[in-house]
Amino acid sequence: MQNPGTGTRTDGSLAISCEELTFSYPGSKVPALSKISFELRPGEYLGVVGPNGGGKSTLVRLLNGLLRPDSGRIRVSGHDPATEPFEVRRHLGVLFQNPENGLVAPFVEDDVAFGLENLGVPREEMRERVARTIRAVGLEGYERREPHTLSGGEKQRVALAGLLAVEPEILVLDEPTSMLDAAGRREVLERLEALRAEKTVLHVTHHLEELLDADRILVLNGGQLVADESPELLLSEPNLLRENRLILPVVPRLALALGLPANLRTPEELAEAILARAGSGTRAR
Amino acid sequence: MTTLGQFYPVASPVHDLDPRAKIVATAVLVAGLFLVDSTTGLLFVAAALVVLVIFSRIPVRRFLRLLRPVLFIVVLTVAFQVFFSREGATLFRWGFLEVHTGGLWLAFFLALRILLLVGVAGVLTATTAPVALADGIEDLLSPLKKVRFPAHEVAMMMTIALRFIPTLGEEAEKIKGAQAARGADFSEGGPLRRAHSFVPVLVPLTVGAFRRADELAEAMESRGYRGGEGRTRYRELRFRARDALALLVTVLILLIGVLL
Amino acid sequence: MRLELRDVHHTYAPGTPFEVEALRGVSLAVGPGEVLGLVGGTGSGKSTLVRHMNLLLVPTIGEVLVDGVDAMTLKKSELRRRVGLVFQFPEAALFAPTVEEDVAFAPRRLGLDEGEVEERVRGSLRMLGAEELAARSPFALSGGEKRRVAIAGVLAMGPEILVLDEPTAGLDPATREELVALIRNLRDAGVSVVLVSHDLDEVAEVADRVCVLRDGTVHASGTPAEVFYGDPEMAPATVRVASLLKASTPEIGIPVRFDETLAALKAVRGG
Repeated sequence: MQNPGTGTRTDGSLAISCEELTFSYPGSKVPALSKISFELRPGEYLGVVGPNGGGKSTLVRLLNGLLRPDSGRIRVSGHDPATEPFEVRRHLGVLFQNPENGLVAPFVEDDVAFGLENLGVPREEMRERVARTIRAVGLEGYERREPHTLSGGEKQRVALAGLLAVEPEILVLDEPTSMLDAAGRREVLERLEALRAEKTVLHVTHHLEELLDADRILVLNGGQLVADESPELLLSEPNLLRENRLILPVVPRLALALGLPANLRTPEELAEAILARAGSGTRAR
Repeated sequence: MTTLGQFYPVASPVHDLDPRAKIVATAVLVAGLFLVDSTTGLLFVAAALVVLVIFSRIPVRRFLRLLRPVLFIVVLTVAFQVFFSREGATLFRWGFLEVHTGGLWLAFFLALRILLLVGVAGVLTATTAPVALADGIEDLLSPLKKVRFPAHEVAMMMTIALRFIPTLGEEAEKIKGAQAARGADFSEGGPLRRAHSFVPVLVPLTVGAFRRADELAEAMESRGYRGGEGRTRYRELRFRARDALALLVTVLILLIGVLL
Repeated sequence: MRLELRDVHHTYAPGTPFEVEALRGVSLAVGPGEVLGLVGGTGSGKSTLVRHMNLLLVPTIGEVLVDGVDAMTLKKSELRRRVGLVFQFPEAALFAPTVEEDVAFAPRRLGLDEGEVEERVRGSLRMLGAEELAARSPFALSGGEKRRVAIAGVLAMGPEILVLDEPTAGLDPATREELVALIRNLRDAGVSVVLVSHDLDEVAEVADRVCVLRDGTVHASGTPAEVFYGDPEMAPATVRVASLLKASTPEIGIPVRFDETLAALKAVRGG
């Protein structure tokens, strides 16, 4: 999997670095995150999975400064979200799970402009950037639509446009498709795929099939970082999957059960692999 | 905008006016109407209002519907003046109820004034999208920022409310349906019983609204929101010659009405 | 109990500029002890259709029949007891101070005595694996827990048919599997289930029959094999894999569920 930017930066600066990150919600005895350490290099695509309550959403909120860690060190594009949250938010944009509650304005184009308004961008420039990002997510013509008339997929794309308008280098996706139907998921995932080449992405999700292209996947369970490995490795460790309540989608599950590699993701690929193996001399038709 | 009922989206010269001009004109008219003390003056303003409604391309029936809420008050006022005013010559008498000519004129005057007040406000809301109204109010209030009035925050609250009213409406419908599916009946019993039957709708709606507010606040902060400081505005209000003209005409009409 | 929708049409806001014909002649039936999978995209009319099953919406044309009797002639409360409808994201309607009280809402509305109500509450919480949540506040639960409580609240009415509109939406895969298992258990216990879902893999695992809705009409209906193999583009992954292999290995048959498909693939592999 090629990700431009990985390894090509000579100054060695990281997009995100976390060291011994620890956080407990007030009133809770058990830490939501416990000594989490990981790095995200520019251009990388990092997946984050794990059971609910395992710390994924907490991590997202620590990264963009909505929460402050109890101990440990975070740097996002060189800035500390706890002390410079607004600086961090120029560089890191978050797409949240609920498509409804991320949209603040009565019209699509106004919502896309929201982040730019907050940055004090002059009006002329705003208009141009808003128009550009609305095009980028395939919503030309939707400018004066009201949010409640949109489908889930369309709402998430509006939210995505709003993020992109600010031009952050890092995109954090917090289960962006979990409340969408199949069509909505497809819409959003298509746009996200197109963005992976130019952005650094941290993608929290329950759907392992969305992470098959990831460079690495972090597994968070009970606040602990249980694994940090490539998708291929993760998918072929059934114990790891089971312990963390991770369920493979149908195609990789069939593949593994047939002794084929787990990185087959579409029915077409699986069928081809089966035919290829059958063709290599087991049974003639 | 779809749900606020009063706004009638159509293209008209009145719709095109800057909302600030319309708000100020409405305020001036509403205050000024109390300075008009002759029926002729009121009739003149009424004629001007009719012309305004025609220019706004609002269907007559729609406009009359805007006046419906005050019908009760108007009828009450008329009845009171007609039967209890003792001005002018007596027309007839029935028990302790007396009808005098003065009463009839006064009734007409007061009723007309009430209808004009509501009519003027009605034209404002029918020709100005809620979002435009919010923008206009924000702009007009912004000088108050100097005396620490939270004009920006008020405007933000208005636009967020406008954004979420349809959503909350749909949510309420959904919750009603869910509770009905569990046997709730919102139409049985007297008013007290009926009010109580709405608890299973109001509680989740309210809790849900708070949760929504939390998530929205997180989203807003994540997008760099930190109040009105240093913020630019995407939507533009442009005050043009025609808006100044409209204001001028309004003041003129009022002046004539007062003088008549 | 057999629930039938016969040539149901539904038009929203008839005679206004917002008029929309959401259902244009839908006929389907749910028999006793079966799981009917109802699939279709946004705009297919799924949500509208589902609200006709307990007469929250009334057909503009057409009939809803319960055991052959016009549902409009039945008492609404009776109909809604027998056909339990669980909306999408049902946890938005949780309102009581404790889980028990919330789940008790429906049985109490039915006029059952407290003893019976308590039994129903315990029983349905147990079926949903949520017994230990009984004394907690519904607002303090996790998403998956709330979902279970909401479904228990409808199950406590003792319906003969349970209509579930996207019951696994927004849940993590492990919880989703648990809910699918629950659907199977319900069916085995004699409760029919109408499963409205956009997740074809999920429907494939548990449906006895499938009905595909498109543009307000029934596009296809029959056994899962009939429907899915009839249109392999719009089919669960299992069916698509098997369809792709059919040309070279016709003996693969028409498996739909995961276990059947795995077995068929293993057999074909020459194992």
